[in-house]
Parts: sequence; structure tokens; C-alpha cells
Amino acid sequence: MKELEIAKTEVVSLLNTLIKEYKVFAPVGQNGFITFQEIHSGSEAFLDYINSKKPPKEIFFPQSERLFSYDLSKGEGWSVEEPASEKKQRIIFGIRPCDARSLVLLDNVFDGQLYKDPYYSGKRKNTTIIAIGCNQPSSTCFCTSLGGGPFSQDGSDLILVDIGQKYIVQVVTEKGKKLAKKHNEFKEAEDNSLSLMRDTIETAEALIKSKIEVQKVTEKLDSMFDDPFWDLVSEKCLGCAVCTYLCPTCYCFDITDEVTGQRGERVRTWDSCAFPNFTLQASGVNPRPSSKERLRQRIMHKFNYFVANHGMAACVGCGRCIKECPVNLDIQVVLNSILNR
Amino acid sequence: MKNPYLPLPMRVEKIVIETEDKNIKTFSVKFLNDEDAANFNYLPGQFAQLSVLGEGEAPFGIASSPTEPGELQFTVNKAGVLTTALHNLEEGEIIGVRGPLGNCFPIEALESKDTIIIGGGFAFTTLRSLTNYILYQENRSRFGNVVVIYGARSPGLLLYRDELEKWEVRTDLDLHLTVDRAEEDWQRKVGVVPNIVKEIAPSPENAYAVVCGPPIMIKFTLPVLRDLGFPPERIVLSLEMKMKCGIGMCGRCNIGNQYVCKDGPIFTLAQLNELPSEY
Amino acid sequence: MLNTSVAIRDIAKKLLDEKRVDLIIGFEKGSVPLRSTPCFVRSTSEADRLIWNVNCENNLAKYLPKTKERVAIVAKGCDVRSIIGLIKENQVTREQVFIIGIPCKGMIDRRKIEAKLDGKEIIEAEEKDDTIILTGNNLREIIKKEEFLHNSCKTCTHRNPVIYDVLIGDKVVEDQAVDEYREVKEFEAQSHDERWRSFSDEVSKCIRCYACRNACPFCYCQECFVDSSQPQWIGKTTNLSDTAIFHIVRAFHIAGRCVDCGSCDRACPMGIDLRRLTKKMEMDVKDLFHYEAGISLEDMPPLATFNPDDPQEFMMV
Repeated sequence: MKELEIAKTEVVSLLNTLIKEYKVFAPVGQNGFITFQEIHSGSEAFLDYINSKKPPKEIFFPQSERLFSYDLSKGEGWSVEEPASEKKQRIIFGIRPCDARSLVLLDNVFDGQLYKDPYYSGKRKNTTIIAIGCNQPSSTCFCTSLGGGPFSQDGSDLILVDIGQKYIVQVVTEKGKKLAKKHNEFKEAEDNSLSLMRDTIETAEALIKSKIEVQKVTEKLDSMFDDPFWDLVSEKCLGCAVCTYLCPTCYCFDITDEVTGQRGERVRTWDSCAFPNFTLQASGVNPRPSSKERLRQRIMHKFNYFVANHGMAACVGCGRCIKECPVNLDIQVVLNSILNR
Repeated sequence: MKNPYLPLPMRVEKIVIETEDKNIKTFSVKFLNDEDAANFNYLPGQFAQLSVLGEGEAPFGIASSPTEPGELQFTVNKAGVLTTALHNLEEGEIIGVRGPLGNCFPIEALESKDTIIIGGGFAFTTLRSLTNYILYQENRSRFGNVVVIYGARSPGLLLYRDELEKWEVRTDLDLHLTVDRAEEDWQRKVGVVPNIVKEIAPSPENAYAVVCGPPIMIKFTLPVLRDLGFPPERIVLSLEMKMKCGIGMCGRCNIGNQYVCKDGPIFTLAQLNELPSEY
Repeated sequence: MLNTSVAIRDIAKKLLDEKRVDLIIGFEKGSVPLRSTPCFVRSTSEADRLIWNVNCENNLAKYLPKTKERVAIVAKGCDVRSIIGLIKENQVTREQVFIIGIPCKGMIDRRKIEAKLDGKEIIEAEEKDDTIILTGNNLREIIKKEEFLHNSCKTCTHRNPVIYDVLIGDKVVEDQAVDEYREVKEFEAQSHDERWRSFSDEVSKCIRCYACRNACPFCYCQECFVDSSQPQWIGKTTNLSDTAIFHIVRAFHIAGRCVDCGSCDRACPMGIDLRRLTKKMEMDVKDLFHYEAGISLEDMPPLATFNPDDPQEFMMV
């Protein structure tokens, strides 16, 4: 389908219309502290931002999520209740292309061939993704090294390109097409706008200076499991979960029972390969006893194991882990050191 | 879409205290709903997640054999929160089961071969399943000779003792029981499992070795099997890792790119040799 | 700052050459503007990586409880106070540690700078005297260091290392006038409801990443209470009931030990004001026991000792 366009002045009214029918999530916040939240008015959306602090993966995979609940007072019986699935259709407006792409990676895990995760898949199916490309990528962005880009369409249904007074709207999927057709704020794009769009995209792509040969990293890692490199690179790691919890593609989780009085719930919560308990067995054995093994797992999983299993690296180059690591353990530095081994 | 996280209710029909230290119990459980029972099709080597509501969930190898319909059996060593909760159960109580999960022993490959089953301690559970599967009247002729070498620290720590006595008198099974420390009336072998394997020296010809036991037993048994001439492709192991989801999603039980819950728990030594030694 | 860096390298080389230590823990240049990063040096050839600037914000004492080696450590005032605490808690011996003490005028809080720039990105930051020159796309700004110090640095009363084996540079003037508990007192002056609301607002941001705990030099427990499964003290969720317990218990556990280095605050990716709790604990310990942590090797932490005349007003009877 040919590109559409929407005037920036129309965006708030479009969002207000969408809110009536959909649950709409958009970036909100200030002072560089942006998170994705459900908005109740179009004016709450803050679209002039670099990226959110927390990735929007939590809209599909919340940090804590009830799998089912039960009543312990019922004695001999068995009453397990699944949470009602969300009926209302949802929209994420203003997600960055890297984060939209992360959903494609997560689909490999939660919507696999053998097993499907109904909690994730249900939310994924009823959500339309409207991304806004990045005119001003950050210096910590390296999406182009991972098969993405500031205007990558992977994972989006519609993608918006900011050309100043208006957004050019690229229609990526049938789902996106349906939505665009329904709302008359979207108009057919003018030809001169399209050339502006192409310039914008080209300029933004050139701004991403970092280029890491990830395929070579993957190949190198094939034979690096026992390399002393991991002792050195992990030495400063604090073993916290900043990198994994703020990562749009990290998906590891724990399952526990939470009981209050006679009511119980089985909940899943984000977990991290950086934590000692992640692999600690009841017997006391831990196959990943120190930060060396744990950091190795994180890097190997993202850049070697995941590639072997799903044909792509489990990283979209969003740079959040680089920005927020308390000790500046920079994943790009790690990847470049691997290439230099 | 079937929710793979939802446990199905089963009633605890029978609880047997297996060992003299009372730390290991076998639970015979039965589905409350016939439909669930009909859908639960498993083979030896697979496992299931057992739930005690309010306490949590943990994975256990299925100790019963599909040739023993009607009930499932799980043998549980008391070690952590969930296993303690299971040990506190009484007959008639309801637990949750998710499964069957994971792959099974390479049954088809074992057919027409000799099978050397080597087990130690309370890791004998799925080996019991496999042995009974092979011994089952309608299956037995498809398999060659079966040698079972099973050891524990002392006679009182051997699992399934009534059944072992029945196996001992069978002619279609060569059973060798051993203990690290003998007691007065112990008439069988004395010595750790690797030494007994060496002593019995089963022929690797047209044979598979299936090994389950504590890490230390496996560590010393593998060189014995290698020296006897068993190729890594015909040494089969069952691995244990911490698991939560059991369906390859929660991310913790991997060895390299293989998830023990989904791609395992059964691997040949040849497969493991290709993976990092992180287990 | 360059002089300080050179002096650190020289002493590092000397110590390694003379085999007086096996390892130097210091800082090297970070990968992004306004960052330095911990650096582990074991040979003289690597020593030239060592640097010193206003971005050396991490408390390197964190790495001492792990190590078995003889270590020389680059340490600011607050880091030295942490080392003293760790020595007293038998996590490391005085003999094992060679302290390269550095008088400190405070470290820069890059998040404060970022907030001021409102989305504009810094590509380069250059220290010049009391200022930092920031450049980036559509950005050239000169800022005053003292306006962007970490909160813990603004109220610091021990900028000079209280013990050291070598001191690099001249001692700086301690701020005698600062009321380091002003914010705590303001907080205390609020009503119960107000206090609970603002505390709840803060900890509800928590994502349970434990960066605060893991950056803290005094959080070295083999098993933290949040990780215990037998018994399980708290749940794993981000519900307020779980996050509040975590932060409250952690604050209690470091009471009388915390030296207000601000590591927890700096590590938190969600911007939680963690010092609100820890500073209150510190003030109470000072009021009740007249004790300040990490000042002397001789005195014992009040909550690790017992005196018949210990104050007990705070005990619930």
C-alpha cells in the first residue's frame, strides 16, 4: 500500500479517537524519564523522545503476571481460575523500531512451534503496533548491526516518519492497513513529502556510527566457551539485573506461588541470568556459580545460542544496557573485545 | 489453545516410604478427570511438574511406566520447599500435574539391542519406568538382553525393594544390586556402581548403556563404559537442571543452545560432548 | 585531574614492580561521555589505563570482599570509609589493602545534567577547572561542576580519606557548614500520611534489579534475605508490599554501617531516592549512639556491640 501521511496537529485528535475504541499505550514522562503507559487523553503522549527507560516489552510480558489463582479454603476440591483474557483491542503508539523488532524476537520464544504461551500470545494478537522511526538515534544505538535500523519495519503494523510538520505513514501489515483506512486523519502522502521521507531516513541511518560484525561475533563465540576472556570481562560486573530487566529482548522468568490468607496465586516474574539463584538447585549445586559463568550465559545466549535456535541474535541494539549499567560494562565493548580475541 | 502452565488435578492414591531414612517417598497419583488421563500419553524418561497449591511446583521424572495404566508414580526426595510440601501430603489429597514434559529414552533405538541400565541412589526413577516398559509382556520380545546395575549407599536406601526382589527371580533380566556399605544380611554385591560395572563388564556389542545417578557416579562410570568400548552415541544420560516452566521459555535450564526441559532431559554422551560442560 | 591520573599510574607501576600488591583496582576511561569504569590492573603494562576524573563515581570497595589477592585500591573519602567498615567486619584485612587515597571534591551526577539538557545528547564532555564543556548535536554548553554533584557528594563531610597508605594530591577543605541531615529533617517534619505517600511513590518505581544492593559495599551477604527460599521472607513481585519490605530491611541492615557513599542511589536505573532511608538511619545512629561509620578502625559499629547503657528509647515494648 502507498504511503499515507498525518499532520502532527492531528495526532492528538487521532489518539483521542483511538482511545474510545482501544486501550492505547504511549510514551509518557519528562526529563528523559520516559515509560510506556496507558493513556486516557491524546495529549498525554510525549512523542519527542529518544527512547523509554523501560522497554515496552512489559505491555506483553509484565514484570509480575498472574498465571492463575486458587482458593486454599476449599479443602479437598480443586479450583484453579485463569485470569480473564483482555477483550479490548490494544494499540501501542510511538514505540521505537528497535523495540517493535524485539517483539519479533520474543515471538520465537513465546509463540514457538512446540509450546505457545497464552498470556503473551493473547496480548500480542490483540495489539496493533504503530512505531515512530528515529530521526535522532542516540550515540549508544547500534540497531543497524543487528539487522534493524532507525526505520526498520519489523514488528510494526504502521511506522511513522517524522518530516517536520507531519508524519509519513508506512503501511507494513494488513492489520495496519485496516486501522489506517478507518481513520480519516490519515491521508494519501504528497510526492514531495515522500522525497523528504527518504532524505530523513538516509540522514538518520548515517548517524549510527557503530558497526559491529555480529555474525562474526556469533562465529567467534562457537569456540570461546572456555576462554579466559570471561574471567576478565566479568570482573567488574556487579551481578545486578539492570541490563537484563531493561533489555527489550530478555525474557527469562521465575514462577512462584504467592499466598495471602486463603487466596493464592501462581505468578510469573521477570528473572535474570545475572542472579545466583537463577540456576541454583535445591541440592545446592549451581552450574553457574560466579559472575563469570553468568555474564557468559548472557552474551552466549544473545549472540550464539539464540542464533542457533532462531536464526537471529537476541539483541536489537537499543543501547539501554549501555546507558544504565552502574559500572559501565558496555555490551558493545564486550562484542568488540570478542572480535579482537 | 491449551494453557501449558495450568496443572491438572490428581488424587494421591498411595504413599510409600521408600527408604529407611524416610527421606524418599513414592506417590501414586490418579487423574480426577478421565479426559486428562486419556490425554496424558508418555514414554519412559519423560518428566512432569508437580504442584502443591500455595507452595509451588517442581519437576520430577515419571517413575511409572506407560504399561502400567491408571496411575502415575513419582518418587520424591525431600530437599527443598516443594518436596517438603509433597512429603507432608496424605493419601486422598489433591496435587497438580503438568506434563508429560521433555523427551524420552531412545526407545526405538533400544529395540533389538541389549540395554545396560545403570542407576544410583534416588535417580533410579525413570530407569524403573524404562525397565518395566521393556519387561512388559507385549514389549519384551522387541528388546535384547537387559542388564540392570543399581546401587545405593546402603540396602535401606535402595528404591522399589519389593519390585527389585521380583526382578531378581526373573530370567529375562540380569539384575545386579550393590551397596557401598554392606550390612549383615546383605547377600548381593558390595562396591560403588562404577566398580561393579567394571566387574560385570557388559559387552558393548549391539548394546546401549543408560545411566542415571548422582554426578559423582556418572563421572566415574563414563570412563568405565568408554574402556569397555561403548561409543558415546550409545551412552544415554538423563540430566537435571533447575527448571521452572518446563516448556523451554523461562530460560534457565539450557546447556549451550539446548534446553534440558524441552530438548532433554535425555541426551546421548555424543550429544553432550558437542555442548559446553556447564551442568 | 591529569596530574592525579599520572600519579596513580606511577604508584601503581611501583607497587606492581616491587611486587607489593598483585592487583590495582582503579578507574579507566568509560565508553560513553561522563562515565569512568572500574579497572583491574595486574601488570605494569596495563597501568597507563588508569585515570582520575569527576566521573569516578563507583565505590571500588565493593570489589574487596571477593578478592584473595593483595590489592591496591584507588579510594575517595567515602570509599576509604567503606574500606574501614569492611576491615572491621573482617571482609578484608588492613594488611591486604594498600589504599591510594584521593581527596575528592565530589563526583558528577550525569543524570542531573541529562535532565537539564532535556533530550539533547552529549557526544563529548571535557573537564576544565571547575567546569565541564559539553558538546553534541545542537549542543555546546559549559556547566559548573558544583551544580551537578551527586546528592551524597553535596552533603559530604569527609572528602579526605581518613586513612591511606599514600595520598595523591593536596587535601581539600572539608565543608563544615553543610547541614547533611536537612532533607531528612524536612522529611521527618511531614505528617505520617505524607511520609508514607512519598516513600510509597519512591519504592513503587523499583524493578527489583538489586543494583542498589549489588553496588553497596556492605551488601556482601552470602545469601540476601530476599533470595532465601527456606523460609521465603518476601515475594518476587513489584507490588508495593514486596518492594517496600526489601528497601526497609536493607536500610535497617546497613544502619550504623552505611557511610553514605551514594552508590545505591547512583546505581538505581529508576531514579529512586534511596538515600532518604539510609540517611535517616545514619542520623538516628549518630543521635542515639554518637557513632559515625567508617571514621576509625578502633571503634565497633554500635549494632554489633552491646553496652548496658545503650539507649533503648526506640525499642518497642
